Amino acid sequence: MLGHILGRLGQALAVMLVMSALVFVGVYAIGNPIDVLIGPDVSQDIRLDTIARYGLDQPLYRQYFTFLGRILHGDFGRSFVFGMPVLELILSRLPATLELTLAAVFGAAIIGIPAGIYAGYRPDGLAARAIMTISILGFSVPTFWIGLVLIIAFAVELQWLPAGGRGDTFAVFGVGWSFLTANGLSHLLLPAANLAFFKLALMTRLARAGTREAMLSDTVKFARAAGLSEWTVLRRHVLRLIAIPLVTVFGLEFASTLAFAVVTETIFSWPGIGKLIIDSITSLDRPVMVAYLMLVSFVFIMINFLVDLAYVGLDPRLRRAGSR
Amino acid sequence: MSQMSSAREVSPAARFWAEFRESKVAVAALVVVVLMLGVAIFAPLVAPQNPYDLANLVLMDARRPPGYVGTAGYTHILGTDAQGRDLFSAILYGLRISLQMGLIAGSLAFAVGVTLGIGAAYVGGRWEAFIMRVIDLQLAFPAILLALVLSALLGQGKVQLIAALAAAQYAYFARTAHGAASAERGKDYVEAVLSTPLPAWRVVVKHIFPNCLPPLIVVATVQVASAIALEATLSFLGVGLPVTEPSLGMLISNGFQYMLSGRYWISIYPGIALIVLIVAINLVGDRIRDQVNPRLKR
Amino acid sequence: MSGSTQPLLEVSDLATYFHARAGVVKAVDGVSFSLKRGEVMGLVGESGSGKSITGFSIIGLIDQPGRIEHGSIKLEGRELVGLPPAELRAIRGKAISMVFQDPMMTLNPMLTIGAQIGLALEAHENVSGAERRQRSIAALAQVRIPDPETKIDFYPHQFSGGMRQRVAIAIALLHRPRLIICDEPTTALDVSIQAEILAEMKELVAELGTALIWISHDLATVASIADHVCVMRYGRIVEAGPVLDVLTRPQHPYTQGLLDSLPSRAKPGALLARGAGTDAAPPPRLPRQAESGKRSADLPYVVIENVGKRFQRKSGVLRLLGQKLGVAGPLPLVQAVDAVSLSIARGEALGLVGESGSGKSTLGRMVAGIYAPDSGHVLLDGEHVMSGGERPHKITTRIQTIFQDPFASLNPRMRIGDSISEGPLAHGLVSRAEAGAYVAQWLAAVGLDPAFAGRYPHQFSGGQRQRVAIARALAMQPDVVVCDEPVASLDVSIQAQIINLLIRLRQELGLTLLFISHDLSVVRHLCDRVAIMHRGRIVESGPAGEVYDNPRDAYTKRLLAAVPVLPVA
Repeated sequence: MLGHILGRLGQALAVMLVMSALVFVGVYAIGNPIDVLIGPDVSQDIRLDTIARYGLDQPLYRQYFTFLGRILHGDFGRSFVFGMPVLELILSRLPATLELTLAAVFGAAIIGIPAGIYAGYRPDGLAARAIMTISILGFSVPTFWIGLVLIIAFAVELQWLPAGGRGDTFAVFGVGWSFLTANGLSHLLLPAANLAFFKLALMTRLARAGTREAMLSDTVKFARAAGLSEWTVLRRHVLRLIAIPLVTVFGLEFASTLAFAVVTETIFSWPGIGKLIIDSITSLDRPVMVAYLMLVSFVFIMINFLVDLAYVGLDPRLRRAGSR
Repeated sequence: MSQMSSAREVSPAARFWAEFRESKVAVAALVVVVLMLGVAIFAPLVAPQNPYDLANLVLMDARRPPGYVGTAGYTHILGTDAQGRDLFSAILYGLRISLQMGLIAGSLAFAVGVTLGIGAAYVGGRWEAFIMRVIDLQLAFPAILLALVLSALLGQGKVQLIAALAAAQYAYFARTAHGAASAERGKDYVEAVLSTPLPAWRVVVKHIFPNCLPPLIVVATVQVASAIALEATLSFLGVGLPVTEPSLGMLISNGFQYMLSGRYWISIYPGIALIVLIVAINLVGDRIRDQVNPRLKR
Repeated sequence: MSGSTQPLLEVSDLATYFHARAGVVKAVDGVSFSLKRGEVMGLVGESGSGKSITGFSIIGLIDQPGRIEHGSIKLEGRELVGLPPAELRAIRGKAISMVFQDPMMTLNPMLTIGAQIGLALEAHENVSGAERRQRSIAALAQVRIPDPETKIDFYPHQFSGGMRQRVAIAIALLHRPRLIICDEPTTALDVSIQAEILAEMKELVAELGTALIWISHDLATVASIADHVCVMRYGRIVEAGPVLDVLTRPQHPYTQGLLDSLPSRAKPGALLARGAGTDAAPPPRLPRQAESGKRSADLPYVVIENVGKRFQRKSGVLRLLGQKLGVAGPLPLVQAVDAVSLSIARGEALGLVGESGSGKSTLGRMVAGIYAPDSGHVLLDGEHVMSGGERPHKITTRIQTIFQDPFASLNPRMRIGDSISEGPLAHGLVSRAEAGAYVAQWLAAVGLDPAFAGRYPHQFSGGQRQRVAIARALAMQPDVVVCDEPVASLDVSIQAQIINLLIRLRQELGLTLLFISHDLSVVRHLCDRVAIMHRGRIVESGPAGEVYDNPRDAYTKRLLAAVPVLPVA
């Protein structure tokens, strides 16, 4: 059991190392950062001096090891554009994105899973058809388009909710959170709904597919033959049978929602890391890109690790294999 | 359990189609997809105007609402955009570019992914474990981020974007192909041809691959639809196609700034075209998914 | 207590139809019978006869698009047809319960045995936590699960198939129902487990006074448990009566035919009475390039020497890396086949008998050159079938295989004619021009219309597909045929036809057979010699009559004793 967890952890670390190399080499290939750092009219001396100061004259592998060493000390370098330490920059933006993502994923799960189970339980009913039609739309319509429509409808036409920004925040442990103030909550609502729409569709479809299959299984037939009520069958049997794919998707989608926040943050001017990365890509702000990608990879790998642990908790067959 | 009811030969494909046809929604969606494909291919013949021939553009016609009769003497049924282009024509041309990107990127991803997936399943052992581990890892990484980084890395352009889209999507094909091929690999009919024996390539090409097709078709529909959406998103974010290749995503993006001033049509109509296309493709895919799921067969 | 004259269950003119898109399927069409308290009734029929649907109709579990069209089901005089769902639910598990065929599928893999028994308890009673546990343990003890106090916290995957079926029976008996319906409860189990479950079930229902409907395709198991039997065909009961009467003096021609299809009732090697067909002669043997027959005929033709095969569980790259670095230990190997030596003379049929997991199929695949053995070797006519992982094609084409599942052994996307001609074409046995005529000859030889060559597998029934699979194997002009459970998934009447076909073709073509089966009676009927396999080893082998009549090995004795026998008139 412990060996299983340690093995997974080691695997996660190895993957992280590979990712760091990929990210470093990949980003290294983009443009020439020197042109961003200094103007074209400075003297050759200053130019060479700057190159040496940033270590850009070293061979690639040397630069990579220097980079690794610095990262281990929490030093991701300074942003070319903002002129401040990247770690500080990203950490200052991270809570906004985290808040948005969590609100979207949990919202999607709380609405999507029950809706999907219902649609799978009565697949031919009118409500199920309605749920599936909406989910097809949510699955198909691009996030940015829904964002536009939400702004037009609720911010411009109805003027119920603000179109952008984070609104008032309330500080807990020195970090500001929007959902703790009424004004902040009103700012959070539209972008979170926008981000949640796709996930909502996905979770609905997944829960429906799993429930439909489970309802036709011998396990459910046997439970019914033993006289269990429909509610007990759904709550105790079906929910357990479909839990594993749902947890997987919940975990993986949390990661991908973090990435999709790029789009939503751009549309709603949400001051998170998604907007930061788009800006840094257009301005070739290399340290920010590297740090962002490393951070996202780290989050993915941690989530994958947690999903693996959740499997062991959920699936008794794995639990036993792990303890051997 | 099938009976010898008919004397005719019924190919699996014909049986598949007969079953598909039972869903009216799916057939309607298929008709929509084919229609849109048709008008996209024949856009130069269908469109009243070549929107990218500067000689056709009259500034006086810019930002006119739907139904406006322009200087050229015909009705702009969907209005005109900021440069005075006929929006209907621009949408047809945009559809052409969007579909082109989706189909080419999808086919490329299909070819690479299926080769890797079936190859891994057939070879087995360490290679299989290694390839699938890498693919699993990539699947955990969201496609949009990968496409975003790659298109930033490769620069703007059609070829670059196709490469970025395909790189972000091949893993889904590989995963599906691997799963299907592993299942087929263990079936008796494959063991039967192995015991004949037949050469390995023949087993893979004539026996395993055709039987992996149904789930792959489902993935293909989803992936083409999502490639089109992804391309639109990237173009919307300004890291997709160059301005010389105005896809539907770019039309929406261009019209966005006029939306707040009430000239909704410049952005809304290309958006509707995009959504109808993607929804139709996904409806077709959904039907096929239900058809190929053996666990839903009673 | 109601009067003893009233039957417990009275089914009259029951009709359950399925409204499929192709039309109405009359799965059960006018079935009537009645059952007294504590009576055991067998419901027998081939697949599609409606026997399972009858069971599901009684317990009120007919899913869409099926429904009970008309008729009545009365439990102690109370009409069940048309009861509201809530009232039906109150009866299910309490007055009537059911056990299903596949114990691997019926229990929820995610819940402990205790939790599942607890849920079934709570469905009809209010019980406290401590009482629930204590009663669950008692329920397990009742079905003879050893150490129930510990086993209650196990998950289904920690149990064998037989144990899982016992748990399912425990759940079904929980509320002491007046009727329990068992739908092919031992079909998925090995014969020795089947014998245990049959014996236990018989005792339990007698002890509890529960009436039992035992649904099965197997006349012999029904004979060993039931008092009465109903024989079903096409949704109707064709014959009913006391078991002994029906099985020894069948009145209906269908029942007679079923009994005549059983190899256990026929003289070994003789054509079965029910499966006679009018098949054409196979095409003449083609000359082979390989110089067969250079050795003397009395030397063994196929030699299996010290053959072993281990399987390793799947492991990932990092695990392999970990093993290299010494961090992770190797996964345990499963020894599927352990140093097996056997020989088959030219023209002989050797039966390889074993229960599931005995390694018999793995051994068959090594003989056919599909798997390479880890140790030892297989020789055909003095030449290696597989050496160093390579298949010398000339040798392997001389050994062909017929598989168990006719639904899986043909490529669903290939016309059957192409499936048959593919191998011969690839190996140059026939030219492209001759292929059509060659396929036609083989289709005729296995009793199929040569005009069917252009059809796809889904257009054929299971028995017909098995004929195609036989034609495909024989069209390669093999000297040796490995038959891996070729009749196991077929109904008895179809099974009889395929057995007859194999007997005839073997004679006409002078084939050498390795016949793998779990079914002792089929092996006895078809084979000259028999080898009994258990846990990867051959425990006993010899001439079929000798092994069956005077088994020496303890395992063989147990196996033979476990086979249910039909009463003889």
